[in-house]
Amino acid sequence: MNQNSSVSKAPLIEGQEIKDEENYKDTVRRAAIDMMPLSVAVVPWGVMVGAYGVASGLGAFNTQLLSLIVFAGTAQLVVIGMMASGLGLISILMTTALITSRHLLYSMALRERIAPLPWPWRYGLGFLLTDEFFVHCTKAQDSRAGTQADRWYMLGAGLSFYLVWNISTAIGIVAGHWLPDLAHWGLDFTVAAIFIAILFPNIQTWGTGFCVLLSMIIAVYCAANEMKLGLMIATISGMVLGYALDRWRESNQ
Amino acid sequence: MNVLTIILMAVLVFLSRYLFLEPKLPVNLSPYMQRLLSYAAPALLAAVIGPIIFVHTHGVNLSVQNPYLWAGLCTVILIMLTKRILLTTTLGFICFIGFKWALTLSSQTL
Repeated sequence: MNQNSSVSKAPLIEGQEIKDEENYKDTVRRAAIDMMPLSVAVVPWGVMVGAYGVASGLGAFNTQLLSLIVFAGTAQLVVIGMMASGLGLISILMTTALITSRHLLYSMALRERIAPLPWPWRYGLGFLLTDEFFVHCTKAQDSRAGTQADRWYMLGAGLSFYLVWNISTAIGIVAGHWLPDLAHWGLDFTVAAIFIAILFPNIQTWGTGFCVLLSMIIAVYCAANEMKLGLMIATISGMVLGYALDRWRESNQ
Repeated sequence: MNVLTIILMAVLVFLSRYLFLEPKLPVNLSPYMQRLLSYAAPALLAAVIGPIIFVHTHGVNLSVQNPYLWAGLCTVILIMLTKRILLTTTLGFICFIGFKWALTLSSQTL
């Protein structure tokens, strides 16, 4: 959401080299604390995925395995439903590919920051790249990009989120045994609530406002018509409209 | 079978996250492209929020009986007033439970 940083991107900030191991730990801890509102807010959603997996007959092991190695809430939820209704491997993988296609945008946007790092960092941070990670690590106020501490900061944010996601899935698996109805309590509202809380304070230009409006309308239309690529179509349409509108307004000033 | 499916899913999701982080991939993003990408986060957030609020089992739900709609509006107001994420999501969820309960109750009495 750093549309204010405009076209002429500031050169990467040098310095702030952190050599002391203790400082890495501090950075990781600070990142985990900064990520806390998002981590805590995602707990009900993780609980829901866990409970839903058990309620659908996927079993505790597979439900947890999804959170451990796939680590993508929306895809997990959709695929649990598909597995429960006995759909085949190909249709499950195609659906996953469509839902997960939005991550291409994230990796493109974070390319400058992550691609120059050594491979263990790239693979690790790539694995941890979720919606929340992306949103948190690309905030407008973010001045860490380009510093040595940046990779540790992203690691702390991503890893703490990963741990919370898996613990809440486990809680959902256990709770789902006792409360079989838990998956239908409307815990999905918490995802909307978190995203509303992140989104609305960041609507600061007309372009962003219309970007949000168009993206939402298209996503609703596509979801109502069960188009799996809807998320991607909506996001790209919103981006293009917002960008075009802000550029047009700037050129007329 | 299920384990194999999950492993293949994991590979697929990882590839989509990693693709553009690979330095050997010959892509250079122009400043215009980078600016365009800065709209990805708001657009994506809106695209996730919309269907949760408006699309339920019977298609688009714009009725006043939709608790997601009322609780969503409350959440928007709360974040603009408080600017605090955790407080807002907690209160927003409480609003949701309240609306859900009240609307179920009122639809039963009607």
